[in-house]
Amino acid sequence: MKIKRILSLVLAIALMAVVFVGCDTDSTDDSNTSTDAAIEANAKLKVWGPAASLDVLKKQAKAFEEANADKNVKIECVAQEESDAGTQLLNDPTVAADVFGFASDQLTKLNLAKALLPVYTDYEDKIKENHTEAAVQTVKGDFEGQEVLYAFPETDNGYYLVYDKSVVSDEDAKSLEGVLAACKKAGRQFIMDAGNGYYSCMFAFTGGLKLEGLDGEAQDIQKFNNYNEDDVVASMQAFSKLFREYKGTFTPASADKISAGFLTKKKTCGAGIDGTWNAAIDSEALGDDYGVLPLPTININGKDTSIVGMIGYKYIGVNAKSKYPNAAMAFADYLADKDCQKDRFDELGWTPTHKGVEVGESLGTKAMLTEAKTFVVQANIIQQFWDPFANLGTQLYKDGTKNDTKTLKTLLDKTLANVNG
Amino acid sequence: MIKSYKLRRNLANALIYVILAVLGLIWISPLLWMVLHSFRAEGGSAVQYLIPETYSFKNYISLFTDTSQLDYPRWFLNTLVVAIFACIISTLSVLMVSYSFSRLRFKARRPLINVGMILGMFPGFMTMIAIYYLLKAMNLTQTLPALVICYSAGAGLGYQISKGFFDTIPRAMDEAATIDGATKNQIFWKIILPMSKPIVVYTVLTSFIGPWTDFILVRIIMGDNRANYTVSVGLQTMIAQQYIGKYFTRFLAGSTLVAIPITVLFLKMQSYYVEGVTAGGVKG
Repeated sequence: MKIKRILSLVLAIALMAVVFVGCDTDSTDDSNTSTDAAIEANAKLKVWGPAASLDVLKKQAKAFEEANADKNVKIECVAQEESDAGTQLLNDPTVAADVFGFASDQLTKLNLAKALLPVYTDYEDKIKENHTEAAVQTVKGDFEGQEVLYAFPETDNGYYLVYDKSVVSDEDAKSLEGVLAACKKAGRQFIMDAGNGYYSCMFAFTGGLKLEGLDGEAQDIQKFNNYNEDDVVASMQAFSKLFREYKGTFTPASADKISAGFLTKKKTCGAGIDGTWNAAIDSEALGDDYGVLPLPTININGKDTSIVGMIGYKYIGVNAKSKYPNAAMAFADYLADKDCQKDRFDELGWTPTHKGVEVGESLGTKAMLTEAKTFVVQANIIQQFWDPFANLGTQLYKDGTKNDTKTLKTLLDKTLANVNG
Repeated sequence: MIKSYKLRRNLANALIYVILAVLGLIWISPLLWMVLHSFRAEGGSAVQYLIPETYSFKNYISLFTDTSQLDYPRWFLNTLVVAIFACIISTLSVLMVSYSFSRLRFKARRPLINVGMILGMFPGFMTMIAIYYLLKAMNLTQTLPALVICYSAGAGLGYQISKGFFDTIPRAMDEAATIDGATKNQIFWKIILPMSKPIVVYTVLTSFIGPWTDFILVRIIMGDNRANYTVSVGLQTMIAQQYIGKYFTRFLAGSTLVAIPITVLFLKMQSYYVEGVTAGGVKG
């Protein structure tokens, strides 16, 4: 009996030991935001980019290798979608890419985990000077009391109005009322993901609500601006009334249903709010009838007001656990610079954040650049933001919910309370 | 009250059949939808009508030809290889463990059976992070052998059902064989196994389907190594936001094809399945 007890004790201790060995100490906090940034010799880098961009990325990696031939840098390009890059990186940073593209919704998460190596001060001025202000604004942050940039801006990532020109005229497309009326007349749908916080926040943002970064010890409090409640409620009410008036035409569904509605033999979709990531399939489906404009206006209490949505960015980040931080930083800088942005714009249609790239007449790009001036940027947003706003959107179009001022005021208050609840 | 027994029976049967037909329809409709839309010629993600307007094989063809971004044939092959190896190893291990617990008497038998039962009660994904770091220490992450190891190493713990089956085979068979000079090993291979075809088939099927359909472990182990993805993780990649518009119908085609190996395996094994349990066993 005694032996058994001793044995179980030993086993228990051994198990505990294994558990604790698992938590190795974190040793990344040595702030090397400004050090000797010379590229390490024989650096081996791994870079993540979406599969669609891999060919372009490989070409650029090769050019970088050649430009730094004396350092013998080797770069491996691996397909990894930007929407999932943050999760993959945090799963195990030690085997993740050194340089990776990611979307702005992951910025907060990556920062909290200290997974990003802040941009070296040597590169900072160049970014601030050359990239659009909105894009730079989103990556500014506080790192151990110092203002830093967390990543290199790469491209805009957001949504705009996509419409079938044979149904919605360019004139109609300037106001939401016009779009909906034209769709109704043609028996087509207007599709937007109104039950998704990423889109539905526009119902409140159009009325002047804004995000003002994070607060609190753990960066888990969302700050809002000093908004005028009546204006926000009026905006929500205007959307709600329109959706009800055009019931059947207004269709709350995910953005991928828009291209699906364009592709059917008898087109079912007339217009929709779709994202940059679907640009290729939308334009292919509509051909010459492909129309893109910034989000239209909506009539709030007799006044045409431009809809204000959310605009995100895609960034190039450097893994804080990279074995070759200097080489990784230099390569990220190279990828974010003018030539590479131009390559991606020409070959993939990605809107550049670099002000020096000529964008010409590209529809989506023009829309994004216009929206960037007024839209709320998708950065410094806490995770709990999305669900309450998704609910707000759903309540506005759902059958049976009231849309009088009092109900909407309560809804707004509840939504904001739930975000920080 | 209906007097005629026949009429009553027919009415009851009719009602039962209607209920069963409705249940059957509900059950089969998602599969039917998937197969129908995998042949849909008009592209795009999910459409709002049930029956596609036009049909073609192009989703299936492009699934195997357009592999520059998402390499389905490679994933299919990966899954097949992993599932076959895992299936062979775990079937053998399950049957051997069951046989030992059923026939051999040794000191730690009871405690081992209990430990097996208790370990089996922990949900597998609880230990996945630990598995990941152990594999990483062995430099096995992002490789296919890692999957085979994970799927087959603990398989022996699932001995309960086959042990129950072996227990029903009369010990008189073993004794007779022992008298004829057979060792325990020979009894297992030559006496017990041939009489246990249904349970062998069952074990093969379950241990094949496990690796074939697993998602979480592959997702954790493979990371960014797309060449080593299995179909389940690969298919999920196809419906990510960036791909869904172009790949949704291909995703359906891919999901349909996933059913093929399992179906083939089942049909092949079915003939053994129906054979009597202890047919030709003890006489008299």
